[in-house]
Amino acid sequence: MKQSTISHSWKGIAAFSVAALAITACGPDTNGGDAAEEAADTDWADVEPAESIVFATNHPGGSEDIEAEFIDEFTEETGIEVEVITSGANYEETSQWFQTGGGSNADVVVLSDATWFPNYLNDALIPVDDVLEAADIDVSGYVDALYEDYLYEGSHYGVPYARSTPLFYYNVEHYEEAGIDAPPETWEEVAEISQTIVDEDLAQFGYAFPPSDEYPAWGMANLVWGYGGAWSEEWDFSTVSSDETVEALEFAQSGVEDGWANVAATSQTDDFSSGVASQTIQSTGSLGGIMDTADFEVGTAFLPDGPAAEGETPTGGAGLMLAAASSPEEQLASAMFVGYMTSADVQARFSEETGYVPSHQESDMSDVYADTPQFETAVEQLERARVQDFARVFLPGADLELATTLQSLLTSGDDVREEMERVEAEFESLYETDLADEIDG
Amino acid sequence: MAWGHCTHKTPGGGSLTTTDSRPAHVGQDKPEASAPPDDAQLAAARKKAHRRKNSKNWSLFLLFAGPNILLILAFIYYPLAMNMYFSSLDWRLGAPRADPVGLANYQRFFTSPSGLEVWRVTGIFTAGAVLGSMILGLLIALVLNKKIPGRTFARTAVFSPYVLSGVGVALVWMFIFDPQRGALMFILDRIGIESPQWFLDPDANLLMVIIVYVWKNLGYCAVVFLAGLQSIPKDLLESATIDRAGPVRRFFSIVLPLLTPTVFFLLVTNIIFSMTNAFDILRVMTPTGNGTNTIIFEIYLQSFGQFNRAGYSAAIAVVLFFTLFIITAVQLRFVERKVHYQ
Repeated sequence: MKQSTISHSWKGIAAFSVAALAITACGPDTNGGDAAEEAADTDWADVEPAESIVFATNHPGGSEDIEAEFIDEFTEETGIEVEVITSGANYEETSQWFQTGGGSNADVVVLSDATWFPNYLNDALIPVDDVLEAADIDVSGYVDALYEDYLYEGSHYGVPYARSTPLFYYNVEHYEEAGIDAPPETWEEVAEISQTIVDEDLAQFGYAFPPSDEYPAWGMANLVWGYGGAWSEEWDFSTVSSDETVEALEFAQSGVEDGWANVAATSQTDDFSSGVASQTIQSTGSLGGIMDTADFEVGTAFLPDGPAAEGETPTGGAGLMLAAASSPEEQLASAMFVGYMTSADVQARFSEETGYVPSHQESDMSDVYADTPQFETAVEQLERARVQDFARVFLPGADLELATTLQSLLTSGDDVREEMERVEAEFESLYETDLADEIDG
Repeated sequence: MAWGHCTHKTPGGGSLTTTDSRPAHVGQDKPEASAPPDDAQLAAARKKAHRRKNSKNWSLFLLFAGPNILLILAFIYYPLAMNMYFSSLDWRLGAPRADPVGLANYQRFFTSPSGLEVWRVTGIFTAGAVLGSMILGLLIALVLNKKIPGRTFARTAVFSPYVLSGVGVALVWMFIFDPQRGALMFILDRIGIESPQWFLDPDANLLMVIIVYVWKNLGYCAVVFLAGLQSIPKDLLESATIDRAGPVRRFFSIVLPLLTPTVFFLLVTNIIFSMTNAFDILRVMTPTGNGTNTIIFEIYLQSFGQFNRAGYSAAIAVVLFFTLFIITAVQLRFVERKVHYQ
């Protein structure tokens, strides 16, 4: 009887041990290994491109058909087959899919400016500089700021593909009725024009700020930079509560308090298109949708200047990244593919079809300008493009913190300095919790 | 021990004496060749037969239940165990490496201001959603229990939101609540009231999603209450009417006590549903979780919504599991005592 009990105990322990082993075997490595150390330098001269690769894309801007067209052309030109996987409905889903192993067979993946960094930290991406050179891809043609978005610690981790920036939109009919003959060049002029529009009762609001789910930290970066502030200076977060940043946000807050501006309830695009607000800032990618929806003439302009800086334009959108799990042959073939997808001609056609701005400086957009002159502003504005602040795109959760805080500040009248000091402390806490070990080594 | 009697051990360990019905010659001396089996042989034979029967039962059990058990193990208990393991790690989503941190993720959730805020929002949302659905569902069921024209259509209409997609429901209600262009804004405007900023104020956000959840869920409560109402014996109500009990007295003295099993069932299921099934409405109507960050939303937000904290998110999921487990156990233990079964 005693023996039987011991036997049962041992069986239980054994079963538990097997279960525990099965569970821990399927999880991440907890022994402190470093996968990055395993990545050896590849001598690309000895590598032949693979015959087929896998391209994971969310078809940004409804680009499924045009992407298929480009892929056929690429295969015809190089003989490399490209299997397409639809990796999600948007950039966030694509990143989640890639991070959670769904994309373990993907060689090229579309990742946004705000989602590629965690994948870099996961050692899931390779630096592209050497492999692009091996594939004879000339990177000097890319719009500088769009390519620099993927620069970290001296290496690039992607190439600019489906790119956008914020753009200033205005209601031409409201301007004409108010006797305004040119769009504003500064934020002070935005306030003046908005006040005129409200006084003349042409619209409920002169200007619509974005709500928390429309990436206000992206759309309002130009305002903050214009006053000399920033969400961060690399990993230094003190700028988020600096005098300049506070002043910029107090200006925005006063706009809502004075009644010339509002925070859109669902989307600033809807408020603008429906005539509730006469001006707003929204992505260049929204131009087509706004022009389809609005029953008035839509004007576009450069983002306004601030007292401290010319209207700097934050970059946005997505790039093409190469998977670290692929073989060197696949990576070389992938480099040839991303070079083709971001070439001047392909980017011009992609831009015409989707509304994204071309990432290549030599893209000929004359046909698009003839049909949609407003788009020329979006492309010319790329000269003012500025890489986004680390806090918004690299610090996990910081964009969400900024989004809810900005909405709250603009609608509640809370003390800006106090709130931004709280945000700075929150950023420090997020950094310490989630990044410090890896960034600081 | 004499033949004709044998003692069996009962499952509880006690002994049970029975009379053997075998012929009387059993146990008498016989030639060697036809000697009756001794005790050991009989026990072995019985044991063998028992084992064969057991083995047959097990085979049948495994044949019929095995595939289901395997599926349940693979898709419920294995992920549950994996999730518990992940909850002990400091692990970014998709990272090849993680650090074991013991119970630190749990400690953080129970002590951080954001964790406490999640509890507050979850409590308000659950209370509002459950009470709202049940009270309105009961009122509608009382109306639908009467013989009114178009009763069948009304029952279908009341129940239909429950089977609609949460995403679709949320999108329609977003249009209704839109303070600039929404249907509700037009109605309020007609009576001279300015529409609240439903999407911008955290408190209004929470009230808004509670209203939508109650609207979607009350059909379920109404139908279950209706079934409960129809099972109440009519003679009891008739007797009470003869005794001059008014409608209110009949409701509180007869209907409600006899409905307590239904109330109990709905209470348990509604609490579980409101804490787990509201995600679609919350995600579509308030993508950043501003004021509506319930525990189920927090799980999503921490793992997929920018933070990428797979380990911390797993810990919150474990907390949700045990929260529901404890709530259900407490309800079964204490609330059921007060339930009046017919």
